[in-house]
Amino acid sequence: MGLVRVDELTFSYPEAPAPSLANISLRIEPGEVVALLGPSGSGKSTLLRALAGLVPHFHGGRFEGRVEIDGRDTRRRGPAELAGRVASLFQDPEDQVVFGRVANEVAFGLENVGTPPGLIWPRVHAGLAEAGIEHLVDRRTETLSAGELQRVCLASVLALEPALLLLDEPTSQLDPDGAEALLDLAVELDSAVVVSEQRPALPLERCDRVLFLEGGRILLDAARGPALDWLAANRPGYLPGEAATLPDGELEGEELCRLDGVTYSYVEEPVLSGVSLTLRRGEIVALTGANGIGKTTLAKIAAGLLTAEHGSVERRGRVCYLSQDPGRYLITDRAEDEVALAVGGDRGRARAALREVGLAGLERRHPRDLSSGERERLALASVLVADPEILILDEPTRGVDPPRKAELAELLRRDAPRRATLVVTHDLVFAGEVADRGIALGAREPVRV
Amino acid sequence: MSPVPAAALLASLAVLALAAERPWLVAAIAVGLLVTCLRAPRARRFVYLAGTLVSSLLVFVLSPFVSQQGSHVLWEGPRVPVLGLLDVTSEELANGGIQALRLAAVGLAFAAYVLLLDLDRLLHAAGFARRSVLAVGLATRLVPTLERDAAGFVEALRGRGVEVNGIRGRARLLSPLVAGSLERSLNLAEAMEARGFGRPGRTRAPSPAWSTFDRATMAMALLIVLVSIWA
Repeated sequence: MGLVRVDELTFSYPEAPAPSLANISLRIEPGEVVALLGPSGSGKSTLLRALAGLVPHFHGGRFEGRVEIDGRDTRRRGPAELAGRVASLFQDPEDQVVFGRVANEVAFGLENVGTPPGLIWPRVHAGLAEAGIEHLVDRRTETLSAGELQRVCLASVLALEPALLLLDEPTSQLDPDGAEALLDLAVELDSAVVVSEQRPALPLERCDRVLFLEGGRILLDAARGPALDWLAANRPGYLPGEAATLPDGELEGEELCRLDGVTYSYVEEPVLSGVSLTLRRGEIVALTGANGIGKTTLAKIAAGLLTAEHGSVERRGRVCYLSQDPGRYLITDRAEDEVALAVGGDRGRARAALREVGLAGLERRHPRDLSSGERERLALASVLVADPEILILDEPTRGVDPPRKAELAELLRRDAPRRATLVVTHDLVFAGEVADRGIALGAREPVRV
Repeated sequence: MSPVPAAALLASLAVLALAAERPWLVAAIAVGLLVTCLRAPRARRFVYLAGTLVSSLLVFVLSPFVSQQGSHVLWEGPRVPVLGLLDVTSEELANGGIQALRLAAVGLAFAAYVLLLDLDRLLHAAGFARRSVLAVGLATRLVPTLERDAAGFVEALRGRGVEVNGIRGRARLLSPLVAGSLERSLNLAEAMEARGFGRPGRTRAPSPAWSTFDRATMAMALLIVLVSIWA
């Protein structure tokens, strides 16, 4: 008998017009690694929540069919009872952290599942070592970067030594090396792993099997080899793409933004030291680099949101900056009003911008009622609407599915001649598709472009 | 010092400040707590100290107008509906002063608790009512989280060329801040449940034993409370 058995599962959230999952049946064996793919809103997160028992126990709604984990029926055993056998790592680490110190955060789950007291601290240290962050054991969680915090959350689930590990877009905030390390770690465990990802290359390289969901239904459930053939024929956007090497030389064009010898520190250690950057009209520049290296800081200085301690900054024309957190674009009560904020309340322009990003028909929807993928697009519309001369996008593909990424790349390329565009991203495939040149922000050396 | 004796000492000082009649004693407690709070990083302590100062000043300024006591009139104003004759006596000023000092001492005790105590260790040490202590711990973290969210909203608006100025500009952030904190609390509750919170049979990671100094501090806190009540 398999570790996971799902029979005829159909689930609708309360008051939802259509089911999020429809007639799902599947089996997962111990130690199997399953890549869960599909567009935004296809039901991937809901399926992971059903496997954790959170659906229906936490979310309510209409649940038909049966889900069994290790012989335990999730209708009778809630998520707290399944914890330990099942462990979940969610997308946003900031919404998972309970404690102020890393060691206590990792110990929290072990205490809850009744681990003998003498084993708790050794397993905390083992979990941290496995996640490669033992040096953070005494750090306060609020001082960690998003990438470090995601690894703390991973250590918390590894310490539980679960039979089934559920990963919901676990690498969305990690740089390519960090993402690779995290997934390598997950697949080397004895646990069965189900990983949902919008950057499918990494899980597709490591999985035994692929599930493809669309509209709440399984379109594909196959071993890796046949699954790659199916994707090539039916959903080529999900196939692993090649990260192109971008040239680093400047193009010709009017200079719209120039940073020269910029230095910035948050506490004492400088994040940026003597960094220079030029953005010209007509070009798209991709800014890449490891977590915590200062990419966002540099982007904010270019946008005028932070003031450099040393060095000079010159800009010509209007600048718009897209934050990497789409939760920052939820101020008004209607999507069109949110977008209209940047254009003095002009709803006509706001509706046009919403159409551009594929949100036509949702103009009057409350921004908080939008799905996470739709929120990402709302945030994008909120800055594109102003048609700025300098456009700075910080991680615009976070949580965005491959077809939408292709649309975004096309949209940015179409409008590129009108402006200078800086894209901060960990998604090297997207960077290769959209950018004219790339800047890899180095660890300690100043970058001169 | 372990966090439980430290929290008990702060609570006992707040109780003493509320019960004490002598202004110099209340003032001494407030000053002692202020000096303690100054050990916290400047950026973090500012909100708590400014909040305590403003509320205490408001109590001092407003209380003479809403209380009626004393015969040594220093200023007499018009008769106002509901409040009656507006006047300020030296007794009202003295009473306002001690009430403001009491409020300052209690506010500073809370500030020292939030700013300087390791809430994790406090929660860890909670042998009973763990859920309540956890709720208090998470609620205490709400203030810095709201501060961070507000800064994020302002930054996202500035990134669109919209400046947030004045009370009206900031007031429109209140509703999204509240909605955001509710959404976050739901996400956190889901993550906690997925990690087994609320399951029977939980255990506790071993904590370091109390030192002699911890025991002495706890005894002193109890003594202060007893003296406050008895005296």
